Amino acid sequence: MRLSRADLFGVVAGAALIAVLPFLISDYHQALFAQVAVFFIAILGLNILVGYSGQISIGHGAFMAIGGYTTAILSRDHHTNLVLTMVFAFAICFVFGLVVGLPALRLSGVYLALATFALAVSVPQIALKFDKFLGGSNGVQSAKTVSHTWLYGASWTTAAILFVLAWLILRGRLGRAFRAVRDSEVAATSSGIALPIYKTLAFGISAAFAGVAGSLFVMATNGFAQPNEFEVILSLQILVGAAVAGLGSLWGILAGAAFVGLLPTISKDVPVVGSAHGQDVVFGLLVVLVMLLMPQGFAGVLAALKRLRTRPDTS
Amino acid sequence: MRNKGRMLGALAAAVAVAGFAVSAAAGAHQTDPGITKTSIKIGGTFPLTGVASAYKTIPLAEKAYFDYVNAHGGVNGRKIDFSILDDAYNPAQTVPLVQQLVEQDKVFAILGSLGTAPGLATWGYVNSHKVPQVFLASGDSYWGFCAHQACAGGTKPYTIGWQPDYPAESRMYGKYIAKNTPNAKIGIIYQNDAFGKNYINGLKQGLGSKASSAICDQEGFAATDTTVTQQILTLKGKGCDTLFIVATPSQAITSLVTATKVGWSPTTYLSNVSANRIFMLLAAKNGANIDGVISSSYLLSPTVNASSSGVKFGAAILAQYQSALSASYASGDSNVIYGLGVAWTFVRALQNAGKNPTRATLEKALHSMNYANNPFVYTGIKIQTSSKDNFPIEQEIMIKWAGGASGDWQTTGSLQASGH
Amino acid sequence: MGARLLSFAVRPVNALLITAAVFLLIGSLQSTIFAQQTVAGLAQGAVYGSLALALVLIYRATEVINFAQGELAMATTYVAYQLIQWGVSYWLAFFLTLVLAFAIGFVTQVLVIRPVMHKSVIAVVIVTVGLFVLIDGLVVWKWGGDIKFMPAPFGQQVYHWGGVAVARQDIGTILLTIATVIVLWALFQFTKIGLGMRAAALHPTPARLVGVRVDWMLAIGWGLAAVLGAVAGLMAEANQYILQPSLMQAILLYAFAAAVLGGLESPAGAVVGGVFLGIFLNLIGQYVHFITAQLRLPFAFAVLLVVLLVKPSGLFGHRRVRKV
Repeated sequence: MRLSRADLFGVVAGAALIAVLPFLISDYHQALFAQVAVFFIAILGLNILVGYSGQISIGHGAFMAIGGYTTAILSRDHHTNLVLTMVFAFAICFVFGLVVGLPALRLSGVYLALATFALAVSVPQIALKFDKFLGGSNGVQSAKTVSHTWLYGASWTTAAILFVLAWLILRGRLGRAFRAVRDSEVAATSSGIALPIYKTLAFGISAAFAGVAGSLFVMATNGFAQPNEFEVILSLQILVGAAVAGLGSLWGILAGAAFVGLLPTISKDVPVVGSAHGQDVVFGLLVVLVMLLMPQGFAGVLAALKRLRTRPDTS
Repeated sequence: MRNKGRMLGALAAAVAVAGFAVSAAAGAHQTDPGITKTSIKIGGTFPLTGVASAYKTIPLAEKAYFDYVNAHGGVNGRKIDFSILDDAYNPAQTVPLVQQLVEQDKVFAILGSLGTAPGLATWGYVNSHKVPQVFLASGDSYWGFCAHQACAGGTKPYTIGWQPDYPAESRMYGKYIAKNTPNAKIGIIYQNDAFGKNYINGLKQGLGSKASSAICDQEGFAATDTTVTQQILTLKGKGCDTLFIVATPSQAITSLVTATKVGWSPTTYLSNVSANRIFMLLAAKNGANIDGVISSSYLLSPTVNASSSGVKFGAAILAQYQSALSASYASGDSNVIYGLGVAWTFVRALQNAGKNPTRATLEKALHSMNYANNPFVYTGIKIQTSSKDNFPIEQEIMIKWAGGASGDWQTTGSLQASGH
Repeated sequence: MGARLLSFAVRPVNALLITAAVFLLIGSLQSTIFAQQTVAGLAQGAVYGSLALALVLIYRATEVINFAQGELAMATTYVAYQLIQWGVSYWLAFFLTLVLAFAIGFVTQVLVIRPVMHKSVIAVVIVTVGLFVLIDGLVVWKWGGDIKFMPAPFGQQVYHWGGVAVARQDIGTILLTIATVIVLWALFQFTKIGLGMRAAALHPTPARLVGVRVDWMLAIGWGLAAVLGAVAGLMAEANQYILQPSLMQAILLYAFAAAVLGGLESPAGAVVGGVFLGIFLNLIGQYVHFITAQLRLPFAFAVLLVVLLVKPSGLFGHRRVRKV
C-alpha cells in the first residue's frame, strides 16, 4: 500500500469521520459500527494473507474463535483487563497461525481452501468437546461487559493501530518479500527469499489480526463466547468482505467491512422477501453480483476511477 | 434593595418548591420504557430460521393470544405490541437483537425468547438494564435457580422460565424406571451439549443407587447431525433394552425410525421437547414403531382433550387471529398450545401488576404468581412462584403413545411434582 | 476413464482397498453389529460418494470447487417435494427433478460462473459461496424451515438376514448410486459429448481447434453435476427420513473429505472415498470411544488433512510435481 498525498488525505478524512460519528448516532448504532471495526480488522488480516502472500484461507473464523475464547476465559478466570486480553489473543493466534502455516506450505489453491475450511468447521466442535475448560454449549462468560461507546472507541482505535502496523509491515522488507512470493514463487526463491519463512509468517500475522477481531467480537456479544457464534458462515463473511474490499485500498477494506457488518441489519427490512429470510437472500445475491460486476473488489473500482481521472502515472 | 432580594429569594424558593412538586407529580406518573396509556411494547427472539426452526409456531401462537386480548380491551386498556425477531439460534445475533429491543425499540419486557445459549448470552445485559426477561422458552434450570443465587457473576432476578426444567423431567423418568422396571438396561442417545447433559444428570438422580448399573451405554450426536444410525446400532449392540432419546425434533424422529429399521424394539422414553404429536406422526409415517413410547406433558392435548373448554378456547382464538395454525393445532401440535399458555400467563401477570404497571410491579407479580386456572395447561397444574421458588411450573404427567400411526398420547399415572 | 480402470489393477492403492474389503468381510462375518454398521455406512457412504462425484465432475471440468453443490442438491430435492405435493408420483417426480436439475446447473454455469471463471480462482470461490447463501435463503423463503415428509422411494421394508437388519432403502440407495456411476461412465466413454467434455476439461485450446464447443461442454458438466447432486439429495432425504434445509450441510463436508481422499480429479476415487468414509466413520464411532459425536467431523477432516499433506492427489490421483 503506497500512500500518495491524496491517499494520506483520504486516511485522515476517514479517521476524522470515524472519530466524529459516535456523537452523531445513538448508543445502539455505535455498537453496530463497532461490529464494522471487528470485520475491518479480520478483513485486513485476510488481505495480508491473500493479497500479499497469495495464500487463501476460508478458515479465519477459527482464529477469531481462538481469540474470542482467549478473551472470555482470561476475563472469567483471571479477571484480566480486556485490552490486555486482546494482546494475548494477538500473541496466541500468531502462534496458531504459524502452526497452521507450516503444513499449509505444502498446499496451494483449492487444496489450501479446503484445508482451512476444514479448520473453520472443526474448531467450534472442539469447544464443545472440552467443555470443562471451554464451557461447552453453555459458553464462557467474561467477568466484565462494556458499554457501546467503549466498544466503539476500543474497536476503532485497535483497527487504526493494526492498520498502521499492517502498513509498516507491508512497506518494509517483509512486504516486498510477500509481494514477490505472491507474484512468482519460483522467481522469489531464485532471488534468495526463503519461501517457507515468509509464507508461514504471513499466516501468523494474518491469524493474529483475526484473533484480535475475535476478542472484540466476543466483547460485542456481551462478553459471551459460545460455539454457535463461530460457525462456518463467519469465515465466509470475512472472505466475502475481503473480496468486496479488493486489494491494497484502505477504503476498499472499509467498504468490505461495512458490507459484511451492516448488510444483515439493513436487509432485515427488505420488502417482498420478508425479514426472516431477507438477510440471506440479499447477502447471497449481492455477493454474486459484486463478484460478477466488480471482481477486483472496491479497490479495483477505485483504481479504475483513478485511471479515468489522472493521466498515466510513471509510478 | 433588601426587599427586592427577599422577594427574589422567596420567588426562587417558590419556584423550587413548585419545581419539586411538578417533578414529584411527574415521578408519580413516570413510566418505564415501552408503556404508554394505550400500549405495552414487548419483544422476543426466536429461531425462525436455522436448525431450531421447528419451534417457530410458538411466537405466532403467542401473538394470536395477544391479538385476542387486544380485541377485548387489552390489559387495563393497553394493547400489547409483540415484536418477533429471528436470531437463528446464534447468540451473536441474539445479542444485537436484544440490544435493539431494549435500546432502540424500548420494550417494556422481553418475552418468551427461545434457547439456552441465546438466553445465557443476554441475561447479564438484560438484568443489568433491569429489563424483565420473562418466560424463556427453555427448560434449563438456571432460570429457576439464578434468581436467588449468583450465577456467572451475579444473581439474575429479572430472568424467569416457564416450563418444567429438563432435569426434573428426566428425574421423573428415572424414578419411574427404578420403581417399575428396575432391571432395565438403559441406552441413552443424546444431543452432545448442555441440553443433553441436563437430561442425563436428572435421569441418574432419579435412578438413585441404581444409576450406574441401569445405564447400559450413552451415545452422543452433534446438533447438526442428520443421521444417528451408528449410535442406535451401538446401543442395540451393547444389549440395551430401554432407549432414552434426548433430542430436538429432527434427531428424535430419526432416532425413532432408525431404531425400528435396525430391528430393535426397546422401551423408549422421549424428551418432551420433541413429543409433539405432529413429530410422532411423522416418525410413524416413516415406519417407526411408536406404540408404547413414553414421555411427559404439562399442557392439555388439543386432540385428546378436544372437548375441554381450554382447548376449544384456543381453537377459537386461532381461527380468528392465526388461522394458519388451526390445522396443526387440530392435529395435536403442542407447540401452539404452549405458546397460548405462555401468553395467557403473561397477560395475567400484567393484570396483577396494577392499573399502571411498571417493570418493578411486573416483577413483583411474576414472583408471586398463583394461577390455578390457566386454560391451556394440564388440569390441576398450578403456576406458582414465590420469593424462594422461581420455577413457575413444576408438575408434569407421564404420557404413553397408543394407536400406532394414527394414535395419540394417553396420560398415565397422576401429576408428579419435581420438588426443587 | 477406461484407461484408468486398466491401470487400477496395478496400483499399490489397490492393495489397500483389497485389504480393507477383506477386513470388512471378516468383521461382518464375526459380528452382526459390525455387519450392520458396515451396511449402514455403505448406504450413507453412497450418498457422500454421489455428492463427491458431483464435486469432482465440476473440478475436473472447470478447476473450481463448488461450495454451493450441497445447497443446490438440497434445493432440487425441495423441487421434487413440491412436485409430489402437486400430486406427481415419486418416481416421475424423481426423473422430472433430474431434468430440472440439469437445466438449473447448466444455467448457473452460463449466467454466474462463466463471467468470473477467467478472472481469478478466488472470485469463483466467492461466487459459489454467494450461491450457497442465496440458495439456502430462497429455499427457506419458499418452503419454510420446518420439517417436511417425503414418501420413501424404496418402501419401508426391512429384511432380516442372519441377525442383520437391512433396510430396503439402503439397498436401493447403493444400487442407484452404482447405476448412476455406470451411466456417467458410459456417457464419458462412449458418447461424443462425453469425449468432448473430457477434451474440454483437459485441453481446452486444442479442443476448440477441433471444433469442440468448450464453453457448452463446461455448462453441460455443471448440468450433469447438478443431476448427480439431485440424486444425492433425494437419497439423503430417504436416508434421513425427513426433509429440512440442513439436509446436505453435513454431507457436503463429508463429500469434500471423500473427494480429497479419492483424489479431486478422480470420479472413481470420489465414490470409493465416499463409501469408505461412510463405513469407517461408523466403525470408528462404534469401536473407538474417544471419537465422540463432536469429533466425527473433525476426524473426517483430519483424514482429509493427512491425505492433503501426504498425497495431495488422493488415493487415485496422479501426482503433480511442483518444485520450488
